[in-house]
Amino acid sequence: MEATRATETTEVTLDRPTLTTNRTRNRALLRHVVLPTIFLTVALLGGLRVAAESRAFLFVAPPLVTLLLAVMLLVLFARVGAVKVGRWLSADNGTAENVSHALTLGALFFASAQAFNSVLPEAGLPRLVLSCFFLWTLWQNQFSNFDPRRLLRSIAALFGTAFLVKHLLLASLSAPAGGWLSRLAAAALEGVTLGTLSGPAYAASTGYVSFFALALYVCGLALTPPSPPVETDDEREDRSAELARDLNLLPPRERALLIEELTRETEKEGRD
Amino acid sequence: MRLKLIQWLGIVWTLLFAAFVVWVYAAAPQSVADVATRASVAAGTYEVDRARFDAGRELFLREQYAAARGEWERADPARRDARTQFYVAYSFYREGWGRVYNDDPLFRRGLEAAGLAVALSPDAPLAVEDPELKIHSPAELKAELEKGLERTADDFNPLKVFRERK
Repeated sequence: MEATRATETTEVTLDRPTLTTNRTRNRALLRHVVLPTIFLTVALLGGLRVAAESRAFLFVAPPLVTLLLAVMLLVLFARVGAVKVGRWLSADNGTAENVSHALTLGALFFASAQAFNSVLPEAGLPRLVLSCFFLWTLWQNQFSNFDPRRLLRSIAALFGTAFLVKHLLLASLSAPAGGWLSRLAAAALEGVTLGTLSGPAYAASTGYVSFFALALYVCGLALTPPSPPVETDDEREDRSAELARDLNLLPPRERALLIEELTRETEKEGRD
Repeated sequence: MRLKLIQWLGIVWTLLFAAFVVWVYAAAPQSVADVATRASVAAGTYEVDRARFDAGRELFLREQYAAARGEWERADPARRDARTQFYVAYSFYREGWGRVYNDDPLFRRGLEAAGLAVALSPDAPLAVEDPELKIHSPAELKAELEKGLERTADDFNPLKVFRERK
């Protein structure tokens, strides 16, 4: 029995560095490869529309207002600690790591701009109203108390609402055959023109592309760590860095107690 | 896999993908097939479909101009070949030419294609050696189309009906 336990303990001890290496490698792959890929895919698909009649692709570059909204969103991320810019771009990081992180943050910025572009109506009154709605919400949020998780939920709800407005309500108004809302509005507001509400007609696939882009964007945000873990090629160093980071997460009193305990242990080991 | 390698791989991949996204928005392809065509133009590997071009020329010689243009459209979807665009312009010229009056909308489209053919051969003027044609360069064809679109007193000359289609 004792012998079996000893073998198990040895196996666990032997497997630990491998696990740590895998975890470190996967985390690095996520930050340096997967996240930029996700965000750039959103940047690509966010401006894609499909013309209703010809089914031709139309690529809409991000308008100025979406760039402004993306800046506000990134400031909000930084303010609530969803992205600790000082840790992502730090003098303690290597050059390649900083360059890669800068590219990832750049991709996040353009993905945010294109996510807004994807849900903003193309022209007219709805575009003005929705732009003001986004600006107002993001401005309000700058002064609210958020934690990263709540912020993510709030952003998902914000984009979800705008998606419904653009791709269900307004798309129905501007459908070439006259969507259900268009018929309803025509019946309710007899004689009133919907010219300022309707926009260019797009194929239904535009909505699917937008939905996919937004889902990908929210997934990308959920996968983005607030601060990147310290990366080293030395497994022991890596584990120490990880433990130090975990230690930092403890409340000051518990941290002090733990340090005291560890110091006592080390002193005891030295005496032995 | 070493972490440095992952970081560099990430940098290279991100830059390549970002360049692709910028290129897509600049080139604005209209379909997935168009993406491939424009990518081959950007890579310098774009070539005209010779068989389709010849099929279009056969139709052109049989005076099936619209069908010929359809074949040339498929032979040169990116409109990057000066020779094909010259033939497209020529088909508009022949279809629009009339003994009494010319079809201005067709001539205008021909002028557009002839202008494109001129623009696509900036280094050396294109010379099309085709015995079935009477005009052999895009510049000449462009001048002929412009002349056809002009309104002059000569338009009322009854002897105009004896002029020859080129």
